[in-house]
Amino acid sequence: MATGALSIKLKCASWQQLSTIYKRDLMRGAMFLKASTPPAVGTQVRIDLTLPSGTVIVLTGTVEQHVTDPQRGSGVELKLAPIPAGTIWMIESALTAEQGKKRAQSPANAGVPVAPLPATQSGPVPAIGAGEDLAAAETDLVRALVAEAESLKKLNPFLVLGIGYEANDNDVRAAFGELTKRYHPDRFARYESTELRNVAAEIFILIRDAYRRVCDDASRTQVLTSLGRPSGAPRAIPTPTTMRATPPHGVPRPGGVAKIPPSQIPPITRVPDRTTPLPQQAQPSSIPTTRVHEQATKKPEPLPGRHEGNDNTTKKPEPLNAEKRPTGTSPPPGSVRPATGSPAPVAETGEHGALEDMLDQGRFDEALSAYRMLSKKNPNDRTLRAGIELCEGLAALAQRDRLEAAQRFEAALEIDPSNERAARELAEMRRQATNERKGLLSRLMGKKE
Amino acid sequence: MSRIIGIDLGTTNSCVAVLDEKGVPRTLVAADGERTIPSWVSWAQTGQITVGTRARRQAVTNPAATIYGAKRLIGRKVNADDVSWFARLAPFRIVAAPNGDAWVRVNGQPISPQEVASHVLRAVRKVAEQALGEPVTRAVVTVPAYFDEAQRQATRDAGQIAGIDVIRILNEPTAAALAYGAHRVRQGRRLIAVFDLGGGTFDISIMSVDHGIFEVLSTGGDSALGGEDWDRRVQERIVDEVFDQYRVDLTGIPMAMSRMREACEQAKKALSVDRETTIQLPFLANDQHGAPINYERMITRELFEELTKDLLERLEPPVTRALLDAGVAPGDLEEVLLVGGMTRWPAVQDFIERKLGKKPSKGANPDEVVALGAAAYAGILAGESDEAQLLDVTPHDIGIRVGDSGFATVLPRNSMLPVRAKRLFATTSDNQKFVSIELYQGESQDLTKNRKLGQVTLDDLPPGPAGSVRVELVITVDVEAMLSVTAREIRTGREASVTIRPSGGLSQREIVEIINRRRQEHSAVGKLPQFEGGAMRVTTREYAIARPDEDPDEKK
Repeated sequence: MATGALSIKLKCASWQQLSTIYKRDLMRGAMFLKASTPPAVGTQVRIDLTLPSGTVIVLTGTVEQHVTDPQRGSGVELKLAPIPAGTIWMIESALTAEQGKKRAQSPANAGVPVAPLPATQSGPVPAIGAGEDLAAAETDLVRALVAEAESLKKLNPFLVLGIGYEANDNDVRAAFGELTKRYHPDRFARYESTELRNVAAEIFILIRDAYRRVCDDASRTQVLTSLGRPSGAPRAIPTPTTMRATPPHGVPRPGGVAKIPPSQIPPITRVPDRTTPLPQQAQPSSIPTTRVHEQATKKPEPLPGRHEGNDNTTKKPEPLNAEKRPTGTSPPPGSVRPATGSPAPVAETGEHGALEDMLDQGRFDEALSAYRMLSKKNPNDRTLRAGIELCEGLAALAQRDRLEAAQRFEAALEIDPSNERAARELAEMRRQATNERKGLLSRLMGKKE
Repeated sequence: MSRIIGIDLGTTNSCVAVLDEKGVPRTLVAADGERTIPSWVSWAQTGQITVGTRARRQAVTNPAATIYGAKRLIGRKVNADDVSWFARLAPFRIVAAPNGDAWVRVNGQPISPQEVASHVLRAVRKVAEQALGEPVTRAVVTVPAYFDEAQRQATRDAGQIAGIDVIRILNEPTAAALAYGAHRVRQGRRLIAVFDLGGGTFDISIMSVDHGIFEVLSTGGDSALGGEDWDRRVQERIVDEVFDQYRVDLTGIPMAMSRMREACEQAKKALSVDRETTIQLPFLANDQHGAPINYERMITRELFEELTKDLLERLEPPVTRALLDAGVAPGDLEEVLLVGGMTRWPAVQDFIERKLGKKPSKGANPDEVVALGAAAYAGILAGESDEAQLLDVTPHDIGIRVGDSGFATVLPRNSMLPVRAKRLFATTSDNQKFVSIELYQGESQDLTKNRKLGQVTLDDLPPGPAGSVRVELVITVDVEAMLSVTAREIRTGREASVTIRPSGGLSQREIVEIINRRRQEHSAVGKLPQFEGGAMRVTTREYAIARPDEDPDEKK
């Protein structure tokens, strides 16, 4: 292993590839490098990235950690030195220009950044590229916003704000502040379309109502109770990752952000102790940072009245070990499955937890086969069928196939409207789509975002 | 699109600012170097209109047709308490318009305060156009936080008359906080006070700033207390001294009064920095024998403070009440921001420190800070800046009439805009045919004290005993305070709706009439205030705040 500086030459064969690298790596100031013999942590790395146009961009960074990415194999995570604004601009404008070209040729071929979402696809995506029709970009943005409003309507206040159930006043206000800066109609005052402002107002009203419903302790308790979630959970746990190190006691949620004394768990969510050990592994790099909060909210939530007739299936005891082990949960060495007295009637919520852990780690294929197996056994269990769609969706998302992903998430929600994760992924995707369209429109108008 | 300017339309002075190329708000300076424009408008006998410093000077010779404090009247009813107070005090006539609004009478003609304010706005706009060298049509205009819908809309209407599209009305304390950069301090929720002591009014606002979101928690103040009262105290002292010495009553000599007023203001400004200064007024008047009175006097800050001690004491109760209303202890405040020239007065700053336990922040020019904040927000609206987002709130409860004169709140005050509220109502009599829903705004349980906004009638209700037919009422208020109301009968889904634009007292037709009349006056003079090739036409070397076309001196 070299300890000195390492120089790597990379060539992007296609804009698609560049776009992927940019979205997945550069934008978060880090980069994943596949390496069978990874260089030591702390090694300086210089990357000469050749763009399809022939331009060479120099990136520098240091090896931060060794990771095993389920999607991309083993390698190292580089922490990149800040990329000069000029370089970013170059990449972005190259991508935008290229995208415009592609769109003109065939919409289906569109690059990653502005893939159509199911709810917005009432026809081919309008061609929107630099210098092209503003009106089309505006219409497109309106549609993205409408879709977003629709998905927000289905979410509980915590999900609307994108915060965990253990959030405190400050978290709530911070989330509200961020969303306000993004969706307040004044943020759309710069555009001509009044329709844009109206849709933004609709979204802001949803955000505002969500905020008002959870803005203080008392109201949060009330909402949590109505959601069938235990309230009054201690909330001195700032980051999910730190929690993962602490095996939760009686926490049904895999992320285990909040520790809830078993006595406080209301009947509807009552499950035996979580039976899956928590992985000690660091978060895989393939999970975008934007989804930090998911850690907190894992379990498909049995909302009152949502599970017509399926309630019993969700709580049906399920022999766990049979399915679990083969699907490769592979607990980290040393972790011990807590004894729950009788191992046979393990509630499947615990299992969901395990499954969702897999999802968190990006092991979508494993999770998928697990869900399929479970579903075969319980063909009536909607949550499992929804889980299959969810896995497919997450896998598609990892492959940057956003169209497929969105369709899968929608399908999951259709099967099981209480599938929080699908709802959240969908909301997050729509949020991104909105932002991208907004950014594009601003650029078209020659204004900065 | 043209740039959006920020305008502080003040009771005594107005100011205009814009974001410069670097995204920093900057005050626009008139050609004569003035950074603020007195909010005074004067009508000569011939109908010619002067605005600003020149108009204020004419108050001496033409008091009945020189209007100031239009902001105290805009969007108000003539029988409101402080309007009657102002009417007793002002040297011009305040009359009731047919709808009960307070108007002024100038040379026998009733004129709406909107129109008076529009002259000030037009002057402000002209300053901006001259400074920027480009036409200006859009502005963010500030108003006090306690202004109600009518006052806000009337301010918008004034803008429309002046040819300005008021794209947002902003609360003054919020604008000040924005200009001070109160949102840039990165830590959780912070409480700040905005202490605004201007020429004619005193406002105190308690606000919270959190993650770039501003919220006005409470406001208080004294609309009859301002820097001019301080000047007047010293002026009264001079009048007394001259009377004791020469047996001449200066109050009957307008020119002397005007000169004294300006001298006292100057002395106050000097004493804000120095311990003592001299008031010199040569040839102030003639004594009983016809000899000139040359008044000259050394005045110390101590004496000035002694004369105005009771004024300082009047600052205290509103501050206490605002803190109580906000549920905030003085110790909770992290910052006190100063607005208004009078806050430069050392005794006022001492008072703040004593009362609120905080040294006030002095990072900005208190005369201009509100306009700078308005410009900063204009930048955010234009997409040039991204740092903060202001949340407007409904200033009053919005509700409906229940029973004979009861009031049921549907949308509580301080709801962040845009907002939507739903409420279910039931019929009150058997087989009721229709419901008429009247919307009111205000806090009183007594309907007559609240302001009626409009009404919506839903007829052809299905028959049924009282209480069995239900009507859902949905009230939506958008960011521009536009109110939409929908009433829907639950069972049949039949609905009726109405959109209520807040009324400032003038109908759209009246506004258009004023604009047309102005236009005719202009064409009568033969000049339209227009831009040729985007450049501003400057008719004279000296900048005048009055419209050049209306000032004979400048028609060259």
